[in-house]
Amino acid sequence: MGGPAGRFLIRRSPCFLEASFVIGIAAMRANSWRRTLRDPALFATVVTLWALLALFILFPLANLLARTFIEGGHFTLANLGAILRDANHRQAFWNSLLLAALVGLCGTILGFLYAFTAVRANLSRAWITVLDAASLLLLISPPFTSAIAMIFSFGARGLITYHLLGIKGFTVYGLHSTLFSETFTYFPIAYLTLKPILHGIDPNVEDMAFSLGSSRWRVFRTVTLPLTIPGLANAFLLLFAASLADFATPLILAGNSFPVLPTQAYLQITGLFDLKGGAVLSFVLLVPALAVYLLQRFWVSRRYYVTITGKVGAQTAIKSVAPWARAPLLCACLLVAGVILYFYALLFYASVVVALGANHAWTWQHYRVIFTEGLKAIHDTLIIGGAGMPLGGLYGILLGYLVAKKIFPGRQAMEIVSMINYALPGTIVGIAYLIAFNDPPLVLTGTALIIVACYVFRYSPTGIRATVALLQQIDPSIEEASESLGASSGTTFRRITLPLILPAFFAGLGVVFIRSMTAISATIFLVSINWTLITVRILENMTELSLGPAAAFSVLVVIIVFVVIILISGLLRRFRAAGAVEMTSILGG
Amino acid sequence: MSAIGIRIESVSKRFAHRVKGEVYAVRSVSLTVQPAELLTLLGPSGCGKTTTLRMIAGFEQPDSGRVFIGEQDVTGLMANQRNIGFVFQNYALFPHLSVFENVAYGLRVQRQPEGDISRAVSDVLALVGLQGYERQFPNQLSGGEQQRVALARAIVIRPRVLLFDEPLSNLDAKLRVHMRGELRELQKRLDITAVYVTHDQEEAMAISDRIAVMHHGAIVQEGTAEDLYRRPASEFVAQFIGRTNLLAGRVVSAGPGGIEVDVVGQRIRVSDEGTRAGLGQTVHLVVRPEVIELRPEDSGAGVPGTIVSRTFLGEKAEYEVRVGTDLLQVASYNPVQRGLFPVGQRVTLHFPTEGIQLLSEGSA
Repeated sequence: MGGPAGRFLIRRSPCFLEASFVIGIAAMRANSWRRTLRDPALFATVVTLWALLALFILFPLANLLARTFIEGGHFTLANLGAILRDANHRQAFWNSLLLAALVGLCGTILGFLYAFTAVRANLSRAWITVLDAASLLLLISPPFTSAIAMIFSFGARGLITYHLLGIKGFTVYGLHSTLFSETFTYFPIAYLTLKPILHGIDPNVEDMAFSLGSSRWRVFRTVTLPLTIPGLANAFLLLFAASLADFATPLILAGNSFPVLPTQAYLQITGLFDLKGGAVLSFVLLVPALAVYLLQRFWVSRRYYVTITGKVGAQTAIKSVAPWARAPLLCACLLVAGVILYFYALLFYASVVVALGANHAWTWQHYRVIFTEGLKAIHDTLIIGGAGMPLGGLYGILLGYLVAKKIFPGRQAMEIVSMINYALPGTIVGIAYLIAFNDPPLVLTGTALIIVACYVFRYSPTGIRATVALLQQIDPSIEEASESLGASSGTTFRRITLPLILPAFFAGLGVVFIRSMTAISATIFLVSINWTLITVRILENMTELSLGPAAAFSVLVVIIVFVVIILISGLLRRFRAAGAVEMTSILGG
Repeated sequence: MSAIGIRIESVSKRFAHRVKGEVYAVRSVSLTVQPAELLTLLGPSGCGKTTTLRMIAGFEQPDSGRVFIGEQDVTGLMANQRNIGFVFQNYALFPHLSVFENVAYGLRVQRQPEGDISRAVSDVLALVGLQGYERQFPNQLSGGEQQRVALARAIVIRPRVLLFDEPLSNLDAKLRVHMRGELRELQKRLDITAVYVTHDQEEAMAISDRIAVMHHGAIVQEGTAEDLYRRPASEFVAQFIGRTNLLAGRVVSAGPGGIEVDVVGQRIRVSDEGTRAGLGQTVHLVVRPEVIELRPEDSGAGVPGTIVSRTFLGEKAEYEVRVGTDLLQVASYNPVQRGLFPVGQRVTLHFPTEGIQLLSEGSA
């Protein structure tokens, strides 16, 4: 996940230490200003993007910090102190860290088990497809799908606890089920992180160790595992961040006994109407989130060993797993996949029976409900997703193109700023937007624009990174050729570069749309009577205990997302067939 | 339209270097290309030849100096305002466009009428021998075909000048020789001024009207291939254009007709063109391997030596011959007829009395 921003920082920082070089940099700065000013299209685009970044990323964040630290025009730590003195809030802080660490640990172990089995156990393609499908299912679902399934299974009238095992008074709420649900929701991230790393370890390296007389267990311990450690650390931090930011799962499952920061901030704002308290709490959340992000981005992700063996040598049979160990490994993975499938089957089942756990008579009633009184939410969500899609796609490739290809002042800063909303937990972004756009000069609360903007600036970094990755494969001489044939930079972009980075455009807009369908943590603060979202309705249904409509909504979201993913994969395949550049995955990053 | 020339005046370009700080890629280079001339910038990698070409094209901005195309000062113009044709080393074809659309691109940018475009494109494709390829895509073409498309794309817009950046170096050796003949013929037919960059001295000698040899960001010598070969101004040029033995010797007599130099125990007459070497001074002679004649040991006069290695190349045999402490390169043409010397054989070396050049720079 090491993006170009980080590489630049590292690569260039030693230069800044050389005093003699500073003059050169200054000269080049002047040069880059000159170039930028001479190219009106570039200049206009840079200015426009900076204006947007300032308005939708920096301005809200500045407002959040101002609300936290400035009182009557003066800097103060009183707000922060007041929040931290509250034992309940302090508990939420430690709970958040504990939960994140445990999810990181369990999810990484589960992800490693999955990845190791998929890559090293000589499975047939069919089995690997099953494992991939199970983890993909989770990645594209609303993040609280498994939480809802947990309630259905283990709640007061849960299918498993109450009906199957006959346990009465089992409490589903608390650390245990939040941990379980988040581990299942987020372990695919670890799987996707670790799989290419394990794949990149040349089996010949392991063969080498075998030839030196090591046992399988010893090879695993002394070769395979050490080579994977940076990847494990990376996966851990990614999961830690995901759990820290997760809002919906704890809201449904954590209950009163286990408060965490995102839910505390939410309750502070929606329950107590205390914007300032919410701001301060989200600042408290910001500190560990930022620390983890920086650690992951700039330190761990560049510590991969994998490439050192260079080209993978002659194909060799993978011997890392003893024949007797294959079956248990596969069984463990299938058990996990089985639980996932069970969650989804349960969700579907709950959507077509009158009342799960009480009356299992078949009915379409819940779907009728969501398509009548829930229709507005569906309608709004589709409009918002539909509007965000082209905007996000365009923004992603424009910004990706500029930072990857053009030299202009503030290029690295632009790339870093564009990643901020993506790196921050949604709760922080949502509260920041709420504070920033609630009062003049810019009142956007209650509009669709604020939700669209939130999605575009939060989820376009996938498109930005895909664009940068694609552009790195396109030789700069192709654009120079266009320039030498008389084309302006605008024409070159439109007729040469744009068609070549179209796959990144589709990937970018796909992710924006999918997230518009499934995300909740930021936008729950931004919905209004005028504009609401399916995910918010699901949460409302859950709290009102109308579980049927919640399940029906969830099924609908999963279906919409599936259709969109299939369409986009089709488009990607078509454009790849046209011969340009390959595009790996639309869910990467 | 008659051809127009190119002039660059003390152009410099600096780059930031990770270790050395700021370095000059090109340092105060001046150059004039005559109308309809093909001038080659020749030099090893990193000598600044490509940077110079890219400044003529407008892809790089010089830090100082001026660039003229014809009488127009284009220093401040972007590449798209200069009306040049540029041919890239890697062809740089647009991968998503067909051959036709690749070639038509520049005309479409000029918003020419569709009829003119299709006529011009088929004419130029015929010129480069690619009729019938219109609907192919770049990835379906061979390297040579791709380079022809790149050439067609560059010339169809009727550029004022043509610029080539190592256009043949990605082709295999035989095709390279063939294509350079085609390029040269086309450039003459179009009567267009061209600047050609290469690191291959043979290619440079084959294709150019004139060659400018570059080294460390500066032009070290300019001239026709023959000039450079016969009268290299420095050791670098002598070594870079062809192979050479650079022999140090002492001037033993100086007269109006030339000087005599004592080299490896033999007196060699050198026509001294303006170096004014004085008696007893040490000078350097450029002795090309093919001017030295090898004879069997018992053939009388000459410098005695021993064959150290032999490489048989068909049309010639290359020897390394030890003479005292020196190791000399000797090339013997038509070795099949004239016979080969085995390694270890003692031979005598015979230098010609004419045509050996004194290196004009003092010590080199």
